[in-house]
Amino acid sequence: MAGDLAVGARPAAAAAGARRRVDLTGWVLLAPACLFLVLVFVLPLAQILVLSVTEPATSLAHYRRVFGSPLYLRVLATTFETSLVVTVVCLLLAYPLAYVMARRGGAVAGTLLAVIGVSFWTSFLVRTYAWMVILGSNGPVAALALALGLGSPPQLLFTTFASTLGMTHILLPYMVVALYGVMKNIDVTQLRAAASLGAPPLAAFRHVFLPLSLPGVVNGCLLVFALCLGFYVTPVLLGSPRDMMISQLIAQQVEELLAWGFASALAVVLLVATVAVMVVYDRVAGLDRLWG
Amino acid sequence: MRDGERATITRRTFLRRSTALATAGALGPLLPRGARAQDSIVYVNTWGGSWTAAEEAAYFKPFTAKTGIQVRTVAPVSFAKLKAQVQTGNYEWDVSVINAIELGQAEREGLLEPIDDSIVKKESLWPGAVWTQGIATVALSTGLTYRKDKTAGAGPRSWADFWNVKRFPGTRSLYNRGYTALAYALLADGVPADKLYPLDVERGFRKLNEIKPHIKVWWTQGSQSQQLIRDGEVDMIAMWNARATELADQKVPVEFVWNQAERHDSYWFVPKGTPRAKNAWRFVQFAIQPQPQAEFCRRLSYGPLNPKAFDFIPPEQARRMPTYPEHAKVGFVHDPTWLTPNLAMVKERFAQWLAT
Repeated sequence: MAGDLAVGARPAAAAAGARRRVDLTGWVLLAPACLFLVLVFVLPLAQILVLSVTEPATSLAHYRRVFGSPLYLRVLATTFETSLVVTVVCLLLAYPLAYVMARRGGAVAGTLLAVIGVSFWTSFLVRTYAWMVILGSNGPVAALALALGLGSPPQLLFTTFASTLGMTHILLPYMVVALYGVMKNIDVTQLRAAASLGAPPLAAFRHVFLPLSLPGVVNGCLLVFALCLGFYVTPVLLGSPRDMMISQLIAQQVEELLAWGFASALAVVLLVATVAVMVVYDRVAGLDRLWG
Repeated sequence: MRDGERATITRRTFLRRSTALATAGALGPLLPRGARAQDSIVYVNTWGGSWTAAEEAAYFKPFTAKTGIQVRTVAPVSFAKLKAQVQTGNYEWDVSVINAIELGQAEREGLLEPIDDSIVKKESLWPGAVWTQGIATVALSTGLTYRKDKTAGAGPRSWADFWNVKRFPGTRSLYNRGYTALAYALLADGVPADKLYPLDVERGFRKLNEIKPHIKVWWTQGSQSQQLIRDGEVDMIAMWNARATELADQKVPVEFVWNQAERHDSYWFVPKGTPRAKNAWRFVQFAIQPQPQAEFCRRLSYGPLNPKAFDFIPPEQARRMPTYPEHAKVGFVHDPTWLTPNLAMVKERFAQWLAT
């Protein structure tokens, strides 16, 4: 992104006039989309910001409460930590899967895509409850451990492990599709070219395929991380109370206490923290890779 | 000059009006129902599922037959939507049910339509029927439920027994709600039910610390509580009486303990400013009569709050209900006058206690 700005600043003043007209056309074309975004995104967001400092009275009391209590910052930290872990696990699982789908194509890709699709279209609540049965103390995992003579397994359900597993399962399709979409457009002749120039398969993968697949990685991680930040039902049902996510506290303020001012303040803190993480992410991974 | 001015104004007016028309045309189907005149309809906010089915049979059908007012349902019950409706003036529903503590909160926020005395005759109702601007309807209890096949002897009979992990070993689960857990803890610690309020929060948390390591899960959803005890994930749980009865009917070996069960009474209320308030109060006036209440409670094992409703309920069914006199006597209710203003504090402290 920083690179783009530098490029934009370079052209001579003479070219700027001609470019401005082109830019204007672009803006006209963009106007409907911008208007839509302003109406359904920017304005409500501004409203939340205003609510957080005006309801019930104009003050910063809500923010003092967020930063003054050990609860909210702790839960916020848990939320980011959980999202990070889930994103990394999703990436590690999805990358080989998407790689096989993209390289083999045909029936293999179709079958795998169908399996992922079925999982994706099953309600996340159903999938969460399914994990409760599978990991439960009378479930198949425990039965298998007993049958193999391993004795009863340690408590699986209502742990951070179960919570992470459930969220990974639910978010994995997003990562696979993001990676697959990029990988299947990678020109295989480039890999062959690398091979013909003497690169062993691993080197060809590392120097050719991996860099070309990075836009998918960047996109998938962003998608999964952002979606994960808003999760709370799955950790509540599968995890321990220590796995509580911030959206659960926000929902509680909105739905049970009608404290919309405080809920807005919590939401703003979450948003600012998320933007901060994205800025760091941009520095490290480069969001401009999204556009290939 | 004058012509020109008129022309300008006309064009502006024309533009404004045509824009308004186009907007109205485009948004017409999206406009809230309140914007259209509907004299003989009432929108009831309901939980869905078996709750709505019971309401349909006990309230909606006979009400429409008697008054000609059509009933439409909107699910699920949403407390937050009440505030949104009143703030925006877009009414999706005209009448709903909430518990006494929520009713107190709604009252504090000015979200309740005053009871229409010309329709609901308050003085003719039973004692305790009115709380703020709501009219009592049915009660639900949350009580100790245990697996009979996993518990030795007579089984636990009180919260003190639930806390007694030596005499009653086994895995446990409680409802993830701060004031409920605090009340159980105080009862387990020997506080009499009628001395619970004002809640001794410090003492409650001290007692909760004792049981915390034995609570395998703090459940949040009714279906989750059923799954936990049905699948044997836990041996003892605090759950809703109607959910426990449902399990017992499915031959799951569970018993619901009425002693020290937490009873929540729910109240009909009307959101402030709804254009169909009259219809809503007519509906409430109908629904609180003994016969419709009895009809509703017979289907779901909730307890009628109109005492006369028991005249229409066979005794073997009445014994499954929270307001059956024998059960009501040994249970407890929260005091909304203390709990409503302290709810945010209790919730925050409980969340913090759970997370650490």
